Amino acid sequence: MSAGTQVHANLTEEQVREISGNLDEPEWLLATRLEALEALDDLDMPDVIRTPGRDWTNFHELDFESLVDPLNAAENKDQVGPEDVDVLPWAEAVDEHEALLEEHFGSIVDPQENYLTALSTALFSTGTVIYVPEGVDAEDVTIRTEQNSRSLFNYTLVVTEESSSVTILERQATGEDSEPRAGDEQYYSGIVEVAAGENSYVQYGSLQNLSEDAYNFTVKRGVTDTYATIDWIEGNIGTQLTKTEVSTELNGDSSETQIVGAFYGHNDQHFDLDVKVWHRAEHTTADLVTRGVTDDVARSVYEGVQDVGQDAWDTSSYQRENTLMLSDESEADASPKLIINNHDTEASHSATVGQIDAEDLLYMTSRGVDPRSARNMLVEGFFVPVLEEVDVDELRDDLEDLIAARLRKRA
Amino acid sequence: MARLELNNLHAEVAEGDEKILEGVTLEVKSGEIHALMGPNGSGKSTTAKVIAGHPAYEVTEGEVLLHLEEGEFGEGIEIDEDHRTWNLLDLEPNERAALGIFLGFQYPAEIDGVTMTNFLRTALNAKIEEREELFEDDDGDEDADEEADEGFETSPMEGPADEGEVGVAEFQQILQEKMEALDMDEMFAQRYLNAGFSGGEKKQNEVLQAAILEPSIAVLDEIDSGLDIDRLQDVSDGINALRDQEGTGILQITHYQRILDYVEPDHVHVMLDGQIAKSGDASLAAKLEDKGYDWVRDEVYGTA
Repeated sequence: MSAGTQVHANLTEEQVREISGNLDEPEWLLATRLEALEALDDLDMPDVIRTPGRDWTNFHELDFESLVDPLNAAENKDQVGPEDVDVLPWAEAVDEHEALLEEHFGSIVDPQENYLTALSTALFSTGTVIYVPEGVDAEDVTIRTEQNSRSLFNYTLVVTEESSSVTILERQATGEDSEPRAGDEQYYSGIVEVAAGENSYVQYGSLQNLSEDAYNFTVKRGVTDTYATIDWIEGNIGTQLTKTEVSTELNGDSSETQIVGAFYGHNDQHFDLDVKVWHRAEHTTADLVTRGVTDDVARSVYEGVQDVGQDAWDTSSYQRENTLMLSDESEADASPKLIINNHDTEASHSATVGQIDAEDLLYMTSRGVDPRSARNMLVEGFFVPVLEEVDVDELRDDLEDLIAARLRKRA
Repeated sequence: MARLELNNLHAEVAEGDEKILEGVTLEVKSGEIHALMGPNGSGKSTTAKVIAGHPAYEVTEGEVLLHLEEGEFGEGIEIDEDHRTWNLLDLEPNERAALGIFLGFQYPAEIDGVTMTNFLRTALNAKIEEREELFEDDDGDEDADEEADEGFETSPMEGPADEGEVGVAEFQQILQEKMEALDMDEMFAQRYLNAGFSGGEKKQNEVLQAAILEPSIAVLDEIDSGLDIDRLQDVSDGINALRDQEGTGILQITHYQRILDYVEPDHVHVMLDGQIAKSGDASLAAKLEDKGYDWVRDEVYGTA
């Protein structure tokens, strides 16, 4: 079954060779890219939630041919970190850490997992590699990407050695001097792989605030070694359509993950959010918490999967998702899934979709608060349990500000 | 001096036509304590909710009036002749609050993520601001200009930058004093509004909020239910202080005579089937405790 007939017509091997050549990549990497390009023919779009009569997220309708401009990638990028950590632009990483890349690149997110990951692998022209040596504690690694071209394919690899720790804050936005003019559609694609070494700790915060004309496809996935922890924070504010996956494979005994998500959709924004954890070892713990708001005619689709493998003895796995709809026309669908193949598991999963409670509102207005302020306080309060889980102050403050600003723009 | 007047009030559930209030007439003045008693389903709570402006109820007949005298809100607010009587049914809940109406909820909402301090300071400032607007001269062009100028000083990105009439430090002081008076633990101030509070803590919190908002008329819906004796004492002290210090008129809805030992009512009303069936002084409550509501029913309807 072919999903992508419309896109690769304007993609050629030559283009892929040129991208790879410009980055001075070794032969094996070029080969991986070319295989991904070739596979486009046979790959499907990523899975999306379907309800009878409806695909909630329809990639087939996107006009990739006009969205994807393979040789034109313009961006503004900051890649900053402390001295004892390597925070390298892709070309430099190719030069300095080839063995590391060969070991990890494509090992966590299969380049040919679906059509969009393959497209990203074939065409990415920018990226960051973060390498944290054994025993190093690093805070404040930041990667800021401002997209200025029609399409941008970004790749990030994080590798932490034994007993190290790192906090990474990633942001995507659309540049003010972006080449496509306001109203023009853009496509951002990002793949993030995290290999957390034994007893290491990775906190990866992401704040996506691209223009509301942009499409966004992102996969962030990490694998833990023994006693490793990966904590994700996923904030989605921008784009007209976002499809993201944030996930952790708990492969090491006693490893942990937390995935915290917050989103706020308004106008006709569409968010399709996947949160996944695979318990593949003993004594592993996962905590998935997402809260989001939809307003106007915005839509959100949430799918959360906790997959407990046969050998995952003594698993603890918790999942909560709550969506608050601020308008009658907005839509939300949530599907929390629990797959248990080992009985020695403590797990919970829940999802709710609701509107602002009239009794809560009356309680506040009857004390003198005007209805608009009361609603804003309720919405801001709704996000608090999630924001409290965000350890990165800068990310929490920025999210709070963006939510507050969007609320106050509302009539 | 303020006077709340319910005149032949009829109300039903907004969705559906179940009649709940069938002609309630009642008057509560500043400084008075009224107890409103009656069996379950007689309409006591609905009366309270209609006074506050609950959207689930539709008033089909009658009126709820609030009469204010000059000086009710201190020297800062001038209440001229044509702003002395307000038809509460025409007003939003927050406007009613600004005019000095307070509803203590039977089941206070639990609001996650909003601290008591933040909420109460917002409420207090909103009330002051709304009150100024309600009593503003209609030809207040100057004020309108002023507001337009202010608009440029705060950008929406900065969020609620305006401090309001009562600043953070001043409010902390007020809150601390009122909490001490009610024997409440300081940590309540930083907790989320009623979230995870016990039933008794919620009720205590309602009285605290009344103490801070200093209403002219407070309607307290079963404020005494579910309280242990110590907390009942604290809550009662709080209600008496409202009356004695702020001159608040109290309409206290209760099932039990118990609280009336601590908060002695000037008037007791018995509600049956959506109407006030009988009114009297404090001795009426004692009689009810003895004889039950059927006694009133017999007396009023003459049936067994």
